[in-house]
Amino acid sequence: MGKQILVTLYRDEVAPRFDLCSEVLLVTVDATGHEVRRQDLVLASSGADDLCDLILDREVAVVITGAVEEEHYHYLRWKRVEVVDSVAGLAGDALTRYLDGNLEPGAILFPRLSHA
Amino acid sequence: MDQNTVASISGLDRADLLRVLGGLPFGVAVLDSERRALFLNPALEGLTGFSSAEVAGVPCRHVLRGSFCLHDCPCPPRGQACLAGGNRSREGTLINRNRRKIPVRLTSLPVTDRSGEFLCSLDVIEDLSALKDMETRLSVSASPGQIVGRCAVMEHLLRILPAVAQSDAPVLLTGESGTGKDLLAEALHRLSPRARESFVRVNATPMPEALLDAELFGQAEGPGGAPRPGKFQLAQNGTLFLSEIADMPLAQQGRLLRLLDERAVLPAGGDRPMQLNVRVVAATGRDPEDMVRQGLLREDLFHRLNAVRLHLPPLRERGEDVPFLLAHFLKLFAAKFRKPVTGFSDEAQQLLAAYDFPGNVRELRNLVEYAVMVCPKDTVRTEHLPLPLRFPPAAAPKASLAEASQPQPDQARKPARKKG
Repeated sequence: MGKQILVTLYRDEVAPRFDLCSEVLLVTVDATGHEVRRQDLVLASSGADDLCDLILDREVAVVITGAVEEEHYHYLRWKRVEVVDSVAGLAGDALTRYLDGNLEPGAILFPRLSHA
Repeated sequence: MDQNTVASISGLDRADLLRVLGGLPFGVAVLDSERRALFLNPALEGLTGFSSAEVAGVPCRHVLRGSFCLHDCPCPPRGQACLAGGNRSREGTLINRNRRKIPVRLTSLPVTDRSGEFLCSLDVIEDLSALKDMETRLSVSASPGQIVGRCAVMEHLLRILPAVAQSDAPVLLTGESGTGKDLLAEALHRLSPRARESFVRVNATPMPEALLDAELFGQAEGPGGAPRPGKFQLAQNGTLFLSEIADMPLAQQGRLLRLLDERAVLPAGGDRPMQLNVRVVAATGRDPEDMVRQGLLREDLFHRLNAVRLHLPPLRERGEDVPFLLAHFLKLFAAKFRKPVTGFSDEAQQLLAAYDFPGNVRELRNLVEYAVMVCPKDTVRTEHLPLPLRFPPAAAPKASLAEASQPQPDQARKPARKKG
């Protein structure tokens, strides 16, 4: 059985804030994890409550996003949605890593400077 | 003296800038021309939950995660606007690594060399949590709280409430159960000059007199020999609310009278009165004159408490308040339960309009809470209302004023009730 993955967007990055995101990428994958459908949705307005409603309406199974408030995080978890939050990086990279089973909450995918 | 001389004499041209930033009590981020994080001082590390090392090179919007980052970034890359527009501060929120939303003020300062060439940007982040908490507390203490109402009687009550609150005179609140006496007492306290002191609620439930005495007036020698404060001492400089004056035994009523007259209490087992500065607000769901006649309330205490009397009308006498309160609580519970419920169907409205609400506002509130809880769509229909409301018992006995202490939607229908 397939599932829907939602990535909050800011330009081509994962949106740094769940509650301020005004665009999302909705990807449907089949049981083997292959992408079968991709949709870009522009939201009428940004807001965590509206976004939670959209996630539940669309029966999204996984949310990949940046910072999310505790209240909304627990609400989605309570509704059995997997939330991979605090992800910093390009949306495409985050999605690929998730499908490879390689994305953890708090992942920073941008190249970093060494502090030597 | 020019700036170069000042920098040279003070040694600032050789200063270890990062160490200086590290000692500052507010958050500072050093950003490059592309607004990527280069350094976070310890205060900002604590605020965001990220360490300098793990976010070095990461765009600042993914580190600060501020409400101003996406649509009102203080400086686009290369700092042009920063240089042109100065260092305007903006308030907003950030969400830290622990998923906590924190109110902050951001000030972005471009750093240039002596020839005006952009070097880096300093983002100064101040935590405004304490300030916002204080603002919230002050705004709460200056409002009548959860009491709402639009009928003439309630409007009058809410209008005179601030003036009554300013006085130190005892207040007697009357009204049936569920009309909001507790909320009114709290509102009186919040609007009074005593708002920052304690609000102590006393429920003089039946218990052995000696125990009640100690509970209310304290003990000169408690367990372990130390004096144990009673409710009156705990309310020092604040407000003491007696939630049902009729429950208080006559002996304690006498002591309460002494407190009102002399502003002093004698702790149980003590021989020296203790001076107290307490405002007393008492409430009763019964008719106080009738209680005096029955000998349940001392007449002298009644006259003392009756200095200011505020009566909360039962809901059935509040006319237009019923639809207003239905809409008010519907909105409140729809938001609380995150449900898209927006109104009542015509049939549900008719049923509710015909209902008597013997449990008053408390019953109406519980009823709306239940309806919103079970309503799966946007309109509350009759089937979402509690069963006793839809199918009232054929010959339900009329509840007396005192018996109507619990919300019981199964009691009576509207027309026959008289004012209690």
